[in-house]
Amino acid sequence: MLSFLPLLLLNALIPLGSANADYHERLLLRPLPQSAVLASFNFRSNETSTAFEEQNFRYFPRSLGQILQHARTKELHLRFSLGRWDAESWGERPWNGAREGGTGVELWAWIEGQSEEEAFSRWLTLTNALSGLFCASLNFIDATKTIRPVMSFQPEGNHANSSNLHLLHGTLPHEVVCTENLTPFVKLLPCKGKAGISSLLDGHKLFDASWQTMSIDVRPVCAAGGKDCILEMEQTVDMVLDIERSKRPRDNPIPRPLPIEEIACDESKPYNAADSCYPLEDSDGHQAAWNLTEIFGKPLKGACPLTAEEGENAHTVCVNSPPERTIQVNTTGPYLEANLAGDTVRCYKLPTGADFDLVFPSQQMTTGLVLATPPLFAARSINGHGQERGSVQAVIRNPSTSQAVEFVYLESLPWFMKPYLHTLRAHVSSSTENPIKETYYRPAVDRKRGTHLELRMLIPASSTLTLTYDFEKAILRYTEYPPDANRGFDVAPAIIRLITPPSSDGKGTYLRTTSLLLPLPTPDFSMPYNVIILTSTVMALGFGNIFNLLVRRFVGADEVQGTGGLKGMLVAKVARIRGMFGGS
Amino acid sequence: MALISTLLALRKDPRILKLPPYLSALCILVGVAWLLVLPLNEYSRNTYVSENALLPGQVHTYFTGSEHNVFRAYRHEVASLVDMPLEERNQKLVHILRSNKLKAATQSYSYAASGRNISNQNVYAVLQGPRADATEAIVLVASWLTIDGEVNHSGVALLLTLSRYFKRWSLWSKDIIFLISGDSTSGPQAWVDAYHDSHSPDTIESLSIKSGALQGAVAIEYPAGPWGHRFEKLHIIYDGINGQLPNLDLFNTAVSIASGQMGAGCTLQRMWKHDDNYKERLQTMLRGMISQGLGHATGPHSAFIPYHVDAITLQTVGDGWHDEMTLGRTVESLFRSLNNLLEHLHQSFFFYLLLQANRFVSIGTYLPSAMLIAVSFSITSIALWVLSGRPTSIPSPATTAPLKDSKGPTEKETNKTAVTVVEKDKDKSLLPLAALEVTERSLFLPVAFITLSHFLGLFPLYIFNNTTEAFLAPAFYSTAILTATLPFAAAFTLRRFARPTPQESTLIQCFSLLFLGMFLSALATVNFSLSFLVGIFASPLTFVRGLHAASSPSTPVPFTTKNRLALSAVMSVVLAALNPVVVIRAATLYWGRDIVQVLVQAAEGWHVWGLWTQVVVWLVWWPAWFAGSVVVAGGLFS
Repeated sequence: MLSFLPLLLLNALIPLGSANADYHERLLLRPLPQSAVLASFNFRSNETSTAFEEQNFRYFPRSLGQILQHARTKELHLRFSLGRWDAESWGERPWNGAREGGTGVELWAWIEGQSEEEAFSRWLTLTNALSGLFCASLNFIDATKTIRPVMSFQPEGNHANSSNLHLLHGTLPHEVVCTENLTPFVKLLPCKGKAGISSLLDGHKLFDASWQTMSIDVRPVCAAGGKDCILEMEQTVDMVLDIERSKRPRDNPIPRPLPIEEIACDESKPYNAADSCYPLEDSDGHQAAWNLTEIFGKPLKGACPLTAEEGENAHTVCVNSPPERTIQVNTTGPYLEANLAGDTVRCYKLPTGADFDLVFPSQQMTTGLVLATPPLFAARSINGHGQERGSVQAVIRNPSTSQAVEFVYLESLPWFMKPYLHTLRAHVSSSTENPIKETYYRPAVDRKRGTHLELRMLIPASSTLTLTYDFEKAILRYTEYPPDANRGFDVAPAIIRLITPPSSDGKGTYLRTTSLLLPLPTPDFSMPYNVIILTSTVMALGFGNIFNLLVRRFVGADEVQGTGGLKGMLVAKVARIRGMFGGS
Repeated sequence: MALISTLLALRKDPRILKLPPYLSALCILVGVAWLLVLPLNEYSRNTYVSENALLPGQVHTYFTGSEHNVFRAYRHEVASLVDMPLEERNQKLVHILRSNKLKAATQSYSYAASGRNISNQNVYAVLQGPRADATEAIVLVASWLTIDGEVNHSGVALLLTLSRYFKRWSLWSKDIIFLISGDSTSGPQAWVDAYHDSHSPDTIESLSIKSGALQGAVAIEYPAGPWGHRFEKLHIIYDGINGQLPNLDLFNTAVSIASGQMGAGCTLQRMWKHDDNYKERLQTMLRGMISQGLGHATGPHSAFIPYHVDAITLQTVGDGWHDEMTLGRTVESLFRSLNNLLEHLHQSFFFYLLLQANRFVSIGTYLPSAMLIAVSFSITSIALWVLSGRPTSIPSPATTAPLKDSKGPTEKETNKTAVTVVEKDKDKSLLPLAALEVTERSLFLPVAFITLSHFLGLFPLYIFNNTTEAFLAPAFYSTAILTATLPFAAAFTLRRFARPTPQESTLIQCFSLLFLGMFLSALATVNFSLSFLVGIFASPLTFVRGLHAASSPSTPVPFTTKNRLALSAVMSVVLAALNPVVVIRAATLYWGRDIVQVLVQAAEGWHVWGLWTQVVVWLVWWPAWFAGSVVVAGGLFS
């Protein structure tokens, strides 16, 4: 009966809520070097807080809204990621890294609760509910994978109206993100992939991307003084497509060698002949030809009717490329083109109800792509070998020649990877000063919780910081190993949040390292089974003998009455025959 | 109870000490015979792929067509790089790899061994797998120079072509690392050390690009020049450093793909022609054992194995009709198989002896052979320990037979055994007094001697690893002369102090054999071949004895005491021939190798690869030989 009520209310409240409730979407395309293209999808649905409290959902998805209300979650951040951002060639991260997560699934939320225990039980409710909603193993985020970060995350929303908020954070680095996570993600959108830019989202292309991340962020946004609050849900999908790979049709995805006639050979080579071909390299400014339908595998089906009709927000497809790049529009409906933010961003207002395509022909450019340098580069690896110990090395580089960078480094390690904190060394290439300014450390408890380490560090301009620590590998109980025990165990990526320079949009600047694979001492699993079989055999033999001795009475043949001689034999035979006929 | 008391009575029987040498001999005989029956069908098995995920040869390979044209062009490029200076050559290779859209870098390294400076540069590139998350990687290696020192023209060109070809695929779930190492053994070692950050950063450059945990490595060697050369077979090299082996699944996958999918035969251990008969199987196995026993780096793959990265080298041999595309498609199929792996290779055997490309013996079958040989030392050692606790001559109360020469009762009368009456629980018994004597073992000299002889082994170990190449030959021959004469000098010197007493020399041999037996049985589980080879060469040490002049001249003189000098001389000659230094020299002569080159390689192994064979030779085998020789030589001077 409860589900009926909001539906009726919704109709009544539309005029009230619509003042603030709205929906925006935007696709930003940015060409990257080495014939890659970054596609950033951004969907934003707003709902007023009052409407949300009354379960009056218009743009905000009901399924998610009810989960948030039930788990008393005031701010939610959920990430699904795959692959790695290649900062060396692609430059700065989209959204300054604030809308991406580590490999696998990452979730953090501010939850209301009178005590830590209450907040944690609501956290479990939240993870279990989200697990069902997104078809992900989020329910595996238990106490051992949950931490309470101290310095690494700041709430993005205004929480003046709520008190007793607890920040909880959990990661699943081994979770493989795939189509079954995309489908519920697209379902949360008002246009559900039928129209608007979300009609481009296709599992085959998304998960063939060199890097992709899907995120959901829910936060309350209030006007000054904590009045007129709205609940904002932002969904983003960022992906880097390799143009050459994405252009391959789905029915012929095998990259067979091209016929030799289609390969451009370097004819200046002395050995160039019919049978030898040195492939001609793409010259620097060469841009490959591509269009939206080709690289996303399906056409863009016109505008989502819920987006604004006029103004900046109506222009939902934007291309960030040098002005000289030729872009042809291919559509049957009416569309508008406008330049936003100078002439490097060209935006298009989509026609409603007609397919829309952008065609980028092959072109020789005179201006190169300008990529912003990321504020930090980070790489992390496990060193050493053997079954007992190892060490982790994180190398963080500040490319800036003038500006020192202060950041927080967060490690969330599983309990079976036990760091020795006394071996923690941070070393900066340019100075002898200790870069660690502040340390927060919460040691692991076996099978209860993992290690939580946060370091506030300062890295001077144009220098490299090397952070190392040793760890010991625990031996697990044999039932604690996963089915693919010999693969190793994934260690969540380290999260780096920049404190200075502060980010301009208040969402923070983040970067994450790749996850690590930790090989643990693994028993030969056939051995326990051999032992079980052997013990069972021995037990069966021993038990059988003793059981025999206990329940049987051994009597000498001559002690049995009436069995002697021919008469006895006859009596026994008769008894047997009578027994066979069931006689008593 | 009766059985136990019989056994206890037997314990003191002198006849029981006659048994161990026969038992030891039996152990050695059975051990050797055991090894010889292994090539028979009944004791070996056909190989099989254990890991289901590998699915060898189940994918279609597409490395053909225009890739062949590209390959030929790259081969010309490689040929044009041969005469270039190192830096320039590697920059060109980096350029080609970068134009294939990979992240490429170089790594310089330099090692010093035997006064030589091994310095060179590796080129490597990482293909970031589209489906990978930087946690796992597989490596394709083509060293610039092959194991035989030729330029790996086609191998390097094939690596470049494959890097271009692999980049186009979407299906890689692991990163692929392409490594062109400067030479065939030290280069991969420097690279893999730096990858695991266990290098010395002063001489070996750290890697600027890294990926995840290495899951497997395949090296290719195809030295055919710019005009190509068709090959007949693939020679698969699999021995790692210190006799460690890659998982048998990797080897099986390679064999199954090369012979099953590509139709190119596979061969191993330089058995170019293999008719699969007993003799050739045995020969393959023995070659494998010698290679494993030496523990040296046999190819670019060897350096990976100590890091638990399974690796093999594919080498092209012979004249046939297979060209570079066969090798390329083999590598493609092999990488597709490795790409399928969900877990580190662990299903199949890590300890095996291969008889042929698809026949092997597993550790459970062959291990008893080396163990029996190791046990033979332990048996003798226990016997010698018991012997050392005995009074020099116990008249046996059990002996009723008349003594030799049957001089009759007169002799018996004169040598009446002193007896005493022992009373226990109202039972009385007559016991010879000698049996009740407590014989104290003087342990100081034997222990000190054994310690000293092991300590002496450190000298050759140090000298051979740290002498420059020019002085290695003189060092070797002077060591040979010194070690040949040292036992006699030591025995002579000790004899001047009237040491060792017969008991002490027994104890010296006891400890030495105990240590040898224990060490070899432990070693057999790790490096079977080395343990077996050392065991065979040290086996005479079980049978030699220090012969001493009879203490009581009145007793009948046994044969051994009578011919003491002659026997000691014979035993000394036998042992001199089995001096580790002599054995090494004989082996190099037999295989036609230059002793200096062998020593240079051993020193390189010590400093670069982390080779442990010389530790076994100088700190286990040589001290055991020395102790045995001194004990025997004692017989000459007593």
